[in-house]
Amino acid sequence: MGQFSQYVMNGIMNGSVYALIALGIVSIFKSTKVVNFAQGHVIMFGAYFYFTFAVMLPEATFMPDWVLKWEPEWLAGYKEGALMFSQKAAIAGWVNNVPRIILGLVGAVICNGLLGLLIERVFMRPLLGQSSFAMILCTIGLIWVLEGSASLIWTADVDQVPPLGPNFPIRFSLFGEQVFFFSASVVNFVLALLLFGSLMLVLRFTRSGVAIRATAEDQSTAYAMGINVPAVFSSAWVIASTTGAFAGAILASRNGLSPTLGLFGLSVLAIVLMGGLDSFLGVLIAAMMVGIFESLAQWQWGGEIAEIVPYVLVLIVILWRPNGLLGQAEIERI
Amino acid sequence: MAIKRRTLLQAGAAFAAAIAAPSIVRAETKVWRVGASLPMTGPFATAGQLVAPAFAEFETVVNDNGGIGGIPIKIEVEDSGYIPKNALANFQRSLAGGDLHYYFGDSTGFMELVGPTLKGDQAVMMGSTSFASVLANPKERPYQYMAGPTYEDQFEILLRDVAAKGGKTVAFIYSDTEFGRDPIAHGRKIAGELGLKVVLEEVTKPAGADIESHVTKLAQANPDYALLQGYVTGVWPQLIGAARAFGLTTQFMGTFWAMEKVVADKVTDQAGPFLDGYQGVMPYRYFYDQENAPYYRELAAQKKAANPDFPGYVVTWELEGRLNLELWKKSMEMTLEANKQITADNLMASFRSIKDWDSGGFFGSPVTIKDHKIGQGRVYRYSADTKLFTPSSDWLTT
Amino acid sequence: MIIGEYKTDYAQDEGIWNTWAKKLGFLLALAVLLLIPFVANDYQLLMAGQIAIFVIAVVGLNVVVGYTGLMSLGHGAFFAIGAYTAVAIHQFFPHIFPLITLVISMVVAGFFGFLFGLPSLRVKGLYLAVATLSANFIVLFFIRQDWLEHFTGGRGGTETPNAYLFGTELVTNQQKYFLIVPITIVLFLFAQNLFRSRFGRALIAIRDNDHSAEILGISLFNYKLKSFVISAAYCGAAGTLWAYFFPAILPEDFGLNMSITLLICLVAGGMGRSLGPIFGTILILMVPEILKMVAFYFSEGNASAQIYFSPIRDIVFGLMIIGFLIFEPMGLVSIWDRFWRFISRWPFAK
Repeated sequence: MGQFSQYVMNGIMNGSVYALIALGIVSIFKSTKVVNFAQGHVIMFGAYFYFTFAVMLPEATFMPDWVLKWEPEWLAGYKEGALMFSQKAAIAGWVNNVPRIILGLVGAVICNGLLGLLIERVFMRPLLGQSSFAMILCTIGLIWVLEGSASLIWTADVDQVPPLGPNFPIRFSLFGEQVFFFSASVVNFVLALLLFGSLMLVLRFTRSGVAIRATAEDQSTAYAMGINVPAVFSSAWVIASTTGAFAGAILASRNGLSPTLGLFGLSVLAIVLMGGLDSFLGVLIAAMMVGIFESLAQWQWGGEIAEIVPYVLVLIVILWRPNGLLGQAEIERI
Repeated sequence: MAIKRRTLLQAGAAFAAAIAAPSIVRAETKVWRVGASLPMTGPFATAGQLVAPAFAEFETVVNDNGGIGGIPIKIEVEDSGYIPKNALANFQRSLAGGDLHYYFGDSTGFMELVGPTLKGDQAVMMGSTSFASVLANPKERPYQYMAGPTYEDQFEILLRDVAAKGGKTVAFIYSDTEFGRDPIAHGRKIAGELGLKVVLEEVTKPAGADIESHVTKLAQANPDYALLQGYVTGVWPQLIGAARAFGLTTQFMGTFWAMEKVVADKVTDQAGPFLDGYQGVMPYRYFYDQENAPYYRELAAQKKAANPDFPGYVVTWELEGRLNLELWKKSMEMTLEANKQITADNLMASFRSIKDWDSGGFFGSPVTIKDHKIGQGRVYRYSADTKLFTPSSDWLTT
Repeated sequence: MIIGEYKTDYAQDEGIWNTWAKKLGFLLALAVLLLIPFVANDYQLLMAGQIAIFVIAVVGLNVVVGYTGLMSLGHGAFFAIGAYTAVAIHQFFPHIFPLITLVISMVVAGFFGFLFGLPSLRVKGLYLAVATLSANFIVLFFIRQDWLEHFTGGRGGTETPNAYLFGTELVTNQQKYFLIVPITIVLFLFAQNLFRSRFGRALIAIRDNDHSAEILGISLFNYKLKSFVISAAYCGAAGTLWAYFFPAILPEDFGLNMSITLLICLVAGGMGRSLGPIFGTILILMVPEILKMVAFYFSEGNASAQIYFSPIRDIVFGLMIIGFLIFEPMGLVSIWDRFWRFISRWPFAK
């Protein structure tokens, strides 16, 4: 049982990252009815922006030293006598990085938000009124554009970024067996849930949230009621790209930064459809389910089976509920 | 302007001449043509883009020194995106462009795809980035070779080293790709022979692996050594980092593609000294180990002359590409010396006859080709303090 | 649509080549196709063969996506099934007549098309696309398994057999061309004919509105499944020819990339149009090659320059696809239509 809960916890940690990626896809779909195949590559840009502001910029000569390595006086006392790889050393190492992590996240969110706006205005706006199929293919075309641009701007070098939180194992016992988390994963998990939760609150309680929901419900009626629908579209892309910046920072710190990062988005697409394209909650559940089942499969049967598990799960769920777990059925009229 | 039939005809003739001209010119100026497919885009763009400049430099240096047998070389590099089908199209296009004297492939998949077509006037001597065991097969792949030991050999070197260092249990961790699986069956056999117990075989995704679950399983099996296979830039640093943070005492070992100092250094800079003590097999000397490597010293001087900011390190991936080219050059020179025609068959015959060749420092001992490969390698150990891989074994041959 | 054709009865109107332009175009195309293998070099034949094979698959995809209106991201699986079936058959009958292999592969792929099509009765739109995509991954998963390695070669892929036609082994691209292109022509004409029939019109009715179609007495179950079976059989045929054409196959060849490429070919050419697949495939397969040649012309193959040219090539290709969607959303076929409209009305109004 302790073992079982260990792998379930691992799965939840992974699931939260899936959920964060899926968040962008859902928010774009909800307001514009476009499924963004290039979300993974938008996230990749977020990761590269994080790298630019957290690694490249602090190393520049004109930046003050404390940005690259922050050594407040109390830190020296704290880390005295800390062993390599101990909890203390991990926290001390993280404190050194705090300024540039914050700089990196702020920079990444701003730049990626602008990127989202740019994509919406230049590529998606001219396609308004076309079939959603054409728009989806347009996002597929974007994959090449984004991949090529990233390679031109940052070269294809593999890079590393500082993790968002200190990384040490948190051990405790559950059902009489030792289990553990990595603290960095917990930080990622909390961050993902916070973003997810705050976005749902925004949609429910603010004026712009109501505008987005109204547009999702019925575009032309929303237009007639005086809602600025193009602005809603822009804001959907901005939401997707800014949450994508966080997802990118997390993914890059977990997996390293390279042009392959973008491919992650395609595997998350299946999760989004499993949850239901227009349901944040459904997608959250689906992401957790896939994470958990993947990790349990890895435990019991190893990597080959684990790789296919999400797809089997998606197929079963879609056959059972043709609009995903919590997706709304489309009302069809003849 | 009214277009007369005459002007139209003249224009057409000029156009046709312009199209046909390149082939005429090509036939007149004799060069040794070398083609290469490199992954400049796609998942392995990192490696492709780092290696590419070496091909241009090699061309310049050889031509500045009078070419091969007095004839200059011309290297034409194309992007494959790491898709075998695209690389095949590149290869066919190169072939259509005139005599081709050497080709450098970018993946095991391409080498297998192109292998059966290499016959008759389509035969070309061919090296590649791959150390896949199936490619070291003179009988079935008479024109393909590799500039080092196969993955199976590399795994065997590691296992022998583990046994020599007193390890009792090992884990195999590999990506779910052909590259990852290549040496595993052979590894099991050798581990059995050496009396090592394989306590865990863990298959991971090739990128974006579920690190937590892998570390959990590894912690349960708790092997003395864990051998990694099938990774290039990702997964291995994260896996080792997580295992260290967790407090595992398992020693990690890798093969050629996961032994790059540049990647290890970046991990050390950004995440901490997690890779300290990481070991692995490397067929070549690292570039900073120049004492017994005249070739490396020369190369460093060349690079310094061309670019004053040259940082003084050349990635191992580039060394592999260069060694491939050097082996071809050596085969060319041997064939020319023997006054034989430059054909793929003659080149490969010369290549096979390379014996006790002084590689200029790539390898510790003189190079002798056996089964289209070079069965040498050494185990290195990474230190996060010095940021260097230093040898922890003698040169081993298989 | 070409006007100014004088017809006196329905038979003329229903004919496949019902205008002089079509007749002439078809004969010209045949002549060009016949000429290609004698003037083209190996590289050009490689591309020609690939295009011919892809045209079959895209024509097949057109049946499901373009005419029946069902989204599929799983057609790479049928391609794989066709290819691996051919490899397996040749293990038992090394010198089997290629057309027999082709038919068997089409039947096997058609059967899988039946399985893939079952969800289409419940699931629609993107959900169907993802369901078929999942099925695609599951098929590839089995192909990679060790216990099927004897037939499929597992992860490492397998070398593929050459076709034997009347005792001669088809080795060179030129020989293979003569096997592939006639099959492409026949299959293309069959598909074009299909949509002049009651069956084809039923599919189009389903695409336009499946509930209305059902009320009109079209059995959705029956027609959607048949559409999937036909489409899969086409891709199976393409897979078989792929196995004959290339010396080796890998499971990765037939993943999401393949499925997406097929879709892009279809959309670039024009969905639900018979000529669309041909135009789209030529465009999508040739543009990257042409861009490579252009990059090569400017960089002269210089490795350092190619580092910059390669990503730029990707960007240009992506922008081209997006540009197409923005400026020619109905595909290349609409340019073709405009051209012929212009010709047929000339010298009058445009």
